[in-house]
Amino acid sequence: MTIHRAMRTTLFAFSVTTACMLAAPAAQADQLADMKARGTLVCGTLTSTEPLGYQDPQTRQIVGFDVDICKALAQHMGLKMEHKGLSIEQRIPELSVGRVDVVSAALGYTKERAQQVAFSSAHYQVPIRVMVKKSANLDSFAKLAGLRVSAVKSATTEIYARRGLPKTDIVTYQDGPSAFLAFMQDKVDGFSTSETAGLRYLVESKGQATYINEALAWEPTALGVKKDEPALLAAVNKSLEEMEKAGEIDTIWNRWYGPNTRFAFVREKKLTPISAFAQ
Amino acid sequence: MKDLLLANPDYLSLLAHGLLVTVKLFVTSWILAMLLASLLTAIRSTSSRLAQALVALFVEYHRNVPGLVQIFVWYFGVPQLLPREVQRWINHHDGEFFFSCIALTLYAAAYMSEDLRSGLRSLPRGQVEAARSLGMSYRQTLQHILLPQALRAALPPLMNQTLALFKATSLAMTVGVADVMHATRQIENETYRTFEAFLTVSVVYVLLSWLIMGAGAYASRRFSHARN
Repeated sequence: MTIHRAMRTTLFAFSVTTACMLAAPAAQADQLADMKARGTLVCGTLTSTEPLGYQDPQTRQIVGFDVDICKALAQHMGLKMEHKGLSIEQRIPELSVGRVDVVSAALGYTKERAQQVAFSSAHYQVPIRVMVKKSANLDSFAKLAGLRVSAVKSATTEIYARRGLPKTDIVTYQDGPSAFLAFMQDKVDGFSTSETAGLRYLVESKGQATYINEALAWEPTALGVKKDEPALLAAVNKSLEEMEKAGEIDTIWNRWYGPNTRFAFVREKKLTPISAFAQ
Repeated sequence: MKDLLLANPDYLSLLAHGLLVTVKLFVTSWILAMLLASLLTAIRSTSSRLAQALVALFVEYHRNVPGLVQIFVWYFGVPQLLPREVQRWINHHDGEFFFSCIALTLYAAAYMSEDLRSGLRSLPRGQVEAARSLGMSYRQTLQHILLPQALRAALPPLMNQTLALFKATSLAMTVGVADVMHATRQIENETYRTFEAFLTVSVVYVLLSWLIMGAGAYASRRFSHARN
């Protein structure tokens, strides 16, 4: 008798909650105007991905390429930057809810994501590669058939890995460090990551790991803003163009990925409008 | 309606496979946990102070460390202590499931043994004396007289633990087990229809929980009538 009552109550509570959530109308407002009124740009970045967004061990602040891009963006838009740390899966939901204005967090462009978020022009493109142990002698994707490769959940690397390695088992983890740890502990034979995000892991592997010389995809990375906010998107794109012309994006890139860093990765592709990728 | 995630056959099959893994993980962990819990309770009710202390230590650790941390310790930590060949074999034979199962089993067994112990303590002491005076050994007393009654008495808290274990299986997704949560995250990653994806998996969990509660209600009805 008590169990039936519990079931009924659960069903009722559930229906009410769902009805409320579905009935809540989306608030329509001009986000750019709100931001200008506030005077701040709330920028979300990752917090444990070096050198995009990570905690500096000395100052305990979140620093990185994505943070600097945001600072420059805010400056060009005449706003003060307010930083918010995000986990990988929070990036899109936080935008949709309006808790962050801009997401600068290795947001790779995909057609599906473009239905949920508005992408700015792509400020860099990175190849998605697979890291393997040098001792395993895996030098092509074909050799990964029947083996296991790790990837990070909610990242485009997972999507590209599944598409590009159909005969390989893709095992996903919560974050980069876990996926890398599983790879180093030989639980998986490869680790799928973008070349930039993975460079720090190559270094950490102390020479044990190397990239397979093929790319799963070239992923354009852009800033994300809430969908259906044309004024905000235009303002962000305009600022990015100004930054590119002034060479600021290159400066910031070289600060974190340049020849003086341990990554020494060249920024080959410059600012590209996102329409170039819409397949 | 046709825009529903569930209407897509690929996603439906993904969810179905994930559900299968969830159920497998739950059932395996539950059976092993119940067995282990009975064993632990039996050990703890002996007169050996050392045995009691060891079981108490086991229970304290598993009750005070978060389940997620326990899964991580088993998946990332313990394998490092095993010889390389064993590690390699486990990695190629569903290591994620294996270690998650162990972690969840021990986690649940700790709680369940406490529930069984309180069930045991609620039994009248005269039974032990009667059984011993009839010439039954300690093991026979436990097996035929005490534990069945203790199980019956502990059914409500054990039901709670069963539900808790069922929900805890979702933690296994963090170490790569392709359960229903993992499938949901994968779908959400591809479509970014976050709310719909999580609403769907919530409904799945609620439905399965109801099934478990129903099974528990059936069990409590069948076994709660004291046998004369």
